[in-house]
Amino acid sequence: MTLPRLHIKNISKSFPGVKALVQVSLDIKKGEVHAICGENGAGKSTLMNILSGNLQADEGAIILNNEEVKINSQLEAQSLGISIVYQERSLVESLSVAENIFTTNKPRNRWGIIDYRKLYQETQSLLDRLQLSDIRPKMQLEHLSAAKQQMVEIAKALSQNPRILILDEPTASITETETHILFRIIQDLKADGVSVIYISHRMREIFEIADQVTVLKDGKYQGTMDVNATDVDEIIRLMVGRKLVKQDYLSDEQDEIVMEVKELSSYRFRGVSFKLKKGEILALAGLVGAGRTEVARTIMGADPLLSGEIMLEGSKVKINHPRTATNLGIGYLPEERKSNGLFLDMSVEDNIIAACLSHAAENGFIQPARVKKIAQELVQKLRIITPSTRQKVNNLSGGNQQKVVLAKWLLRQPKVFMVDEPTHGVDVGAKAEIYSILKELTHQGVSILLISSELPEVLAISDRILVMWNGQITAELSRDEASEEEIMHYASGTKIMFT
Amino acid sequence: MKIKIISILTILLGLLGCDPEKGALYKQRMQDQQQERATQVNADEEYVMVTTIVNFPMYVNHDQAAFQRWGIERGVKTSILGPSEWDVQAQIATIEQVIGTRPTGLLINGTDPAIAGAINRAVEAGIPTVVYDSDVPNSKRHAFLGTDWYQIGKLQGEAMAELIGGSGKVAYMGILGMTNMEAGFQGLLDVFADYPQIEVVGKYDDASNVETAARITSDILSAHPDLAGICGFDAMSGPGIGLAVKEAGKAGKVKVTTVDWEPEHLRLVEQGVIDVLIGQKRELFTWYGAQFLYDMVHDTNQLSANDNRAGITNVPRTVNTGLLRITKENIDLFLEDEI
Amino acid sequence: MKKDKITQLLQDRVFTLTVTIALLFVVCSLIWPDKFPTFENISLVMLNLSIESIVAVGMMLLLISGMFDLSVGSVVAFAGSIAAYFMYWYGMYVPVAILVGLGFAGLIGLTNGFFVAKVGINPLIQTLAMMGIVRGLALMIAGAGIQNLPETFNALGQTKILGLQTPVWFMLLIVGIFSLLVSRTVFFRQYYYIGGNEKAARLSGIRVDRVKIIGFVLTSLLAGAAGILLSSRLGAALATSGRGMELRVITAVILGGASLLGGQGKIIGALLGTIFMGLVSNIMILARVSGYWQEIVLGLILILAVAVDVLAQKRGGVPPREYVRKSSEVTPPKVEA
Repeated sequence: MTLPRLHIKNISKSFPGVKALVQVSLDIKKGEVHAICGENGAGKSTLMNILSGNLQADEGAIILNNEEVKINSQLEAQSLGISIVYQERSLVESLSVAENIFTTNKPRNRWGIIDYRKLYQETQSLLDRLQLSDIRPKMQLEHLSAAKQQMVEIAKALSQNPRILILDEPTASITETETHILFRIIQDLKADGVSVIYISHRMREIFEIADQVTVLKDGKYQGTMDVNATDVDEIIRLMVGRKLVKQDYLSDEQDEIVMEVKELSSYRFRGVSFKLKKGEILALAGLVGAGRTEVARTIMGADPLLSGEIMLEGSKVKINHPRTATNLGIGYLPEERKSNGLFLDMSVEDNIIAACLSHAAENGFIQPARVKKIAQELVQKLRIITPSTRQKVNNLSGGNQQKVVLAKWLLRQPKVFMVDEPTHGVDVGAKAEIYSILKELTHQGVSILLISSELPEVLAISDRILVMWNGQITAELSRDEASEEEIMHYASGTKIMFT
Repeated sequence: MKIKIISILTILLGLLGCDPEKGALYKQRMQDQQQERATQVNADEEYVMVTTIVNFPMYVNHDQAAFQRWGIERGVKTSILGPSEWDVQAQIATIEQVIGTRPTGLLINGTDPAIAGAINRAVEAGIPTVVYDSDVPNSKRHAFLGTDWYQIGKLQGEAMAELIGGSGKVAYMGILGMTNMEAGFQGLLDVFADYPQIEVVGKYDDASNVETAARITSDILSAHPDLAGICGFDAMSGPGIGLAVKEAGKAGKVKVTTVDWEPEHLRLVEQGVIDVLIGQKRELFTWYGAQFLYDMVHDTNQLSANDNRAGITNVPRTVNTGLLRITKENIDLFLEDEI
Repeated sequence: MKKDKITQLLQDRVFTLTVTIALLFVVCSLIWPDKFPTFENISLVMLNLSIESIVAVGMMLLLISGMFDLSVGSVVAFAGSIAAYFMYWYGMYVPVAILVGLGFAGLIGLTNGFFVAKVGINPLIQTLAMMGIVRGLALMIAGAGIQNLPETFNALGQTKILGLQTPVWFMLLIVGIFSLLVSRTVFFRQYYYIGGNEKAARLSGIRVDRVKIIGFVLTSLLAGAAGILLSSRLGAALATSGRGMELRVITAVILGGASLLGGQGKIIGALLGTIFMGLVSNIMILARVSGYWQEIVLGLILILAVAVDVLAQKRGGVPPREYVRKSSEVTPPKVEA
């Protein structure tokens, strides 16, 4: 029996507040295409970052070709023959294709100066080998399409002649044509004995190209199957199947329709239509890149709307700027609170009044006493843990920071509140508190659009679930109809409810 | 090991490769020591010069050198203050703040009529104040020593007209936005007005910058291949024009007249690139200017029982120090044996 | 607890700068007892920094929102020049000429604001370009300087009230008004939010573009006012005034507590910054030190000021706010797909 080329043994990794990987072990054989599946937060990226030297595991070992190795940097990984192609590109737009492919290993002449002729030659032969003949070595990267840039990224990894190639969602931004080329490249690599680790949640591709598939869930290893011996259902079940504790649930949903959107289309989504009832929690589920945040941002007026209508309480509205949205009673809790929602260097009070400055002012002059009062009230109400309202929010924990952003919007008393990944990076305790805050809001008649990739969360608190995939709504499920597997199917594009 | 050898060699090179007594640093130090000895004689009597571009080579080598030499010979303290840029406002600020320190006398570079207010303040505070280089006529300054800029323009005009045989295209450049230079331009144009065959193709701002002057000259030469002459009005014009004319291979074909006589200018005359230099006698501005201050303070030529109370200025009020005209004929007398 | 208080104070630039200025004052009074602490000297120092202080108020406002304006020096020259031009050549009434000067200044600010906020041009490039354009215009209008301005105009900048010349009073008035407005009004608070996190500000409903444009207009108006006041004080319009002013003002404002990243700073800090720089200049003159040393000393002081700030923050256990945005954040990679 051939020994595996790469043996990952009991790897664990934690970040403040979250266990990303728990005792994960798996084997990768020589010349094998090994897919790794899991939903958001399952630990796929973390594992790959450990393999490629960007992160260090807290415990466990990596055994390569029968020897234990410590991979402390990407350079070390490269020297061990491990190359990774990321989701987010590592290329420099202003440089040429050749310079991007050969960043640290440019051919040099006797004097140590870069031999450009050789550089372009080698690049050309690499591109030829990959049959990417319409990309020229001297082309400037910024002139290439996103898809072609991704191919350059792949070529870059291949220029290092890896024995193990890791591809992280490689088809996320490429078209059919490039996908074919990619698969051909993978076949060639296989023939050369190179192992390919293929991270994706696109079932179709996994079944087309992979030999083995491993499933991770909540940081734990779920199992490895031969692709010929399994099917989509089983994989999805392993990905999401959990003991669901269906809590006591009271819906605050009323009949009145508060917001209706018709055929909304923009750059990253098209034909989005739905109705939102008063007091309802409508979830918008899907995987990263499905277009959900873009829909919310467009409704909020932060991104342009190309076509479609938004109706608020029966009348058509045109929203060009977040200010218009807030004046109409729409609020948005952004996905990345640190870059989009918080003013990190400012105090809790200043953050809380940010969307509603006039509330704390008289005749245009801010009244410090009123600010303090408002802030203290909300801090109490939301149980925000902070030494004082003058504390800089940067010093608060993730959960409390999120509550501050919530407080900011609560002050505005919106009618429609869109929350985007509200419990991302938040500890368990604060999570529960946030859920109860949301329920309190619906109790008062506020409608909530919940964007979330956490399926348990979606199933626990929403009345209705819309699933998006590839910029379109692929399903509408009621609370009773939905299950994690169902949602996952629609989110992965393997099932579509409407055309 | 390599590093050690290299560093030893470098030090040896440094030690053996220099003859300190020939260096300017040594000469400067000798001068400073002399001055220190001098100031020990009378440190209470302090004459302060306030100029702009305080480390401008022409100012340093002519105005300030003469001033300092005067101070040493007289046995009094001299100080030189002012901004390092052409900043009239900063000069004003400096003058005003120096007044409070009650210097014995003030020697001020008349950069712009706007400094009149500050000068008046000094005079009203009872400090003898002399202006040099360009006059600030609407002020109460006690005396002025300088050059008539209109004359500079006139002399250049006459020289140029002669050089190009009274006809042809000419251009001129200087710092735009300076009163005295505008007077110089006027002098030039008034002369050319008498020559209908002379066509002035342009007035340019070289912002007192050699590269700018060179670039402008190149552009003019390209635009007018038949250009007959160029006139320059600020210290940087000469080297700039000279460089561009040489590079275009037109040395001698295009006539050049300009102001000032720094080593760069003199070399260009020697090489036949510049034809005429109109030079100022800057040493006289400050040497005599300082001397006037001294005489006012010490009442060298008392005209009444108390000139101060009588409101009499007992030094000449306006002095035109005259101009130099340097051409290839007399260039040898001006070329010093330099380091 | 005491350690926190001290650290907090050290981080308050207004406090540390005031203390430094006070110390400097005391030391200089001891060294030159008859020349430094006199009303004559101090009032002259204030007079000479008044013009830059007015410009600094606008610059501080811009820096608070994360922007800056390199064209202020040129606007100072231009506003004075154009007002003088109309008064001298066309006999325009003084108040009208002043309005015209301010009007043009406002237009320049509007242009800057429009291109930065709506078109998206980097403020460095936009205001750098404007700096050249406006300077050129000023030179065209007032090439050799315009003298002999109307007496009533000159009186604006040359009158003495209670021993202090009018520019000082204008400066105090402007600093006072803006200090109050910027620290307490809803409208100006928006600048802090924009400087703190522009994306979050926009998503919170703040009209970022509009606020930015107004910022540029105000800065140019203040520079224009300063320029007119300068011409009035000198009795002449100099097209060469204000050269290099923008960098000095930015230095003063950063000394006064602004951060290049935005979100920090108080108007009073701008005044403290210019006072500090004015004192340094005064000391150089009293000590008979040459002009170019001043620039070296100011550069060193700037580094020192920023270093003290960073060290104080580190002592407080907080990762120091960066003065230049770093390209990557110090957080673990996203744990998702």
